Amino acid sequence: MNDTIIKAENLKFSYDDDNTHSLNGLSLEIKKGQKIAVMGANGSGKSTFFLCCTGILKPQSGKLYFHGRELSYKKKDLLELRSKVGIVFQDPDNQLFCASVYQEISFGPLNLGIEEERVKKEVEDIIQQLEITPFRQKPTHALSGGQKKQVSIADILVMHPEIIILDEPAAALDPRHTVMVNHIVDQMTEEGITVLMATHDVNYAYEWADEVILFENGRVLMQGNPQRVFSDKEVLKRTNLEPPVVLEFFESLCRKGILDESLPVPKNLKTLENYIENISS
Amino acid sequence: MITIDKMCYHSKLRYENAGEKFAFAVITLLICVMSRSAAVAGIVLAVTGVLTVWKGGIPVARYVRFLTVPLAFLILSTAAIMFNIRRTPLDLFALPIGGWYLTASSHSFFYAVSLVLTALAAVSCLYFLSFTTPMPDILQVLRRLHCPKLMIEMMLLIYRFIFILLDTASAISTSQDCRMGNRDYKTSLKSFGMLGSVLMIRAVSRSGKLYDSMEARCYDGTIRVLSENHPPKKKVIAGIVCFELLLFSFAL
Repeated sequence: MNDTIIKAENLKFSYDDDNTHSLNGLSLEIKKGQKIAVMGANGSGKSTFFLCCTGILKPQSGKLYFHGRELSYKKKDLLELRSKVGIVFQDPDNQLFCASVYQEISFGPLNLGIEEERVKKEVEDIIQQLEITPFRQKPTHALSGGQKKQVSIADILVMHPEIIILDEPAAALDPRHTVMVNHIVDQMTEEGITVLMATHDVNYAYEWADEVILFENGRVLMQGNPQRVFSDKEVLKRTNLEPPVVLEFFESLCRKGILDESLPVPKNLKTLENYIENISS
Repeated sequence: MITIDKMCYHSKLRYENAGEKFAFAVITLLICVMSRSAAVAGIVLAVTGVLTVWKGGIPVARYVRFLTVPLAFLILSTAAIMFNIRRTPLDLFALPIGGWYLTASSHSFFYAVSLVLTALAAVSCLYFLSFTTPMPDILQVLRRLHCPKLMIEMMLLIYRFIFILLDTASAISTSQDCRMGNRDYKTSLKSFGMLGSVLMIRAVSRSGKLYDSMEARCYDGTIRVLSENHPPKKKVIAGIVCFELLLFSFAL
């Protein structure tokens, strides 16, 4: 199909060239405009895969296609790929290298060769959009974890990539910043950016994602829509994931005969609430 | 040092044009060091002090305390210039020690005083710059002055990572304290060694990760960043030029 943006074919990658592989024959396809949750235990190869997607790591074997074209790992090709695939790293301190927020955000677009005047405007726009204004004058080392996260997302968003990879964006964030990050992610999707997000939050993934990819030992265990993936008890058990609360509650209500099993599986709490309201009326 | 960094972001002079502040500090410093006169040093000390404290809004007590940091060092080193041990007494004073005298001449005394004042004034010039101008702004000025790119990039990265290194070190040392890692002299020596080695390993892995993340943003070997510009004010430039000319003619 034409709208496949990234395709991985039998990727194998090992950090130290012996028998332990971080990626062990990983194959998957990512379609344009989708919201994809990548889940799996620590060390299942999510971050390694992400680094492969931007060409930072070169798999020892296997092929990576971007828009149907095989990645050649030539410098020009890599730059082209990296201008289209943005990655927000898990620890902002590994990403922010400037002491000034403004300088930090301007780094990416200047690397793309955009002229300074336009970069200035882009940076201002993104500072406005991501609500960075209140702390834009602070040095990065004086920012809170959540603020650093906002800046690290701005870093990437300002480059206008086609696909954004977020590596556990909500890790170590307070609820307010988690909501903020989720809101930013929604904005990205509205702009038509494909979002690939690693997360351990099953409830969020269930509600948010169009598609869930489960990783296990450097391979894709299952890929599909959230209802299908999270209904598969066997698969969840293997990846140590709990089923989402909405789904579990719905099933339990069905077992008790309170709800009709023929109802479509609710996507979120709101739908489930509606179901329950409808029986009592 | 960290205090200075914190304070400069809150200085009232922070948003003045960095070039102006840089020029003022450096030119004043040069005149002051070249003239070697106590009077010039006194004027410089007063002017930079007033600017940093009054215009910049740095608390007086803090500023004075920072000025005394090099003072102890200065007094110790000028003592050697001032005092002599010899068989004949000099004109200022003489303390007999056995057959010898601990003695000083008034000439060497005034020389020492002017030396201390000059050094303090020079330090106060640099304090003015560092109490009012954040590091990224200073780097921007250096960039304009065509400093080697590599040097500026190094400074940019080092400045950012000093804080990460300190954070990491303090987190590790806290965790060592929590597990009685600094119970006595022996354990604290051992803990300190471990802290050092862990910091080294962390620093290496962090620099690798940072490089990855920069590469992911199309880094090609040169760090290009934009700076926010605070346009220079004609009045301020005129003021600086007048002051420097006056100081220069006074020094002559």
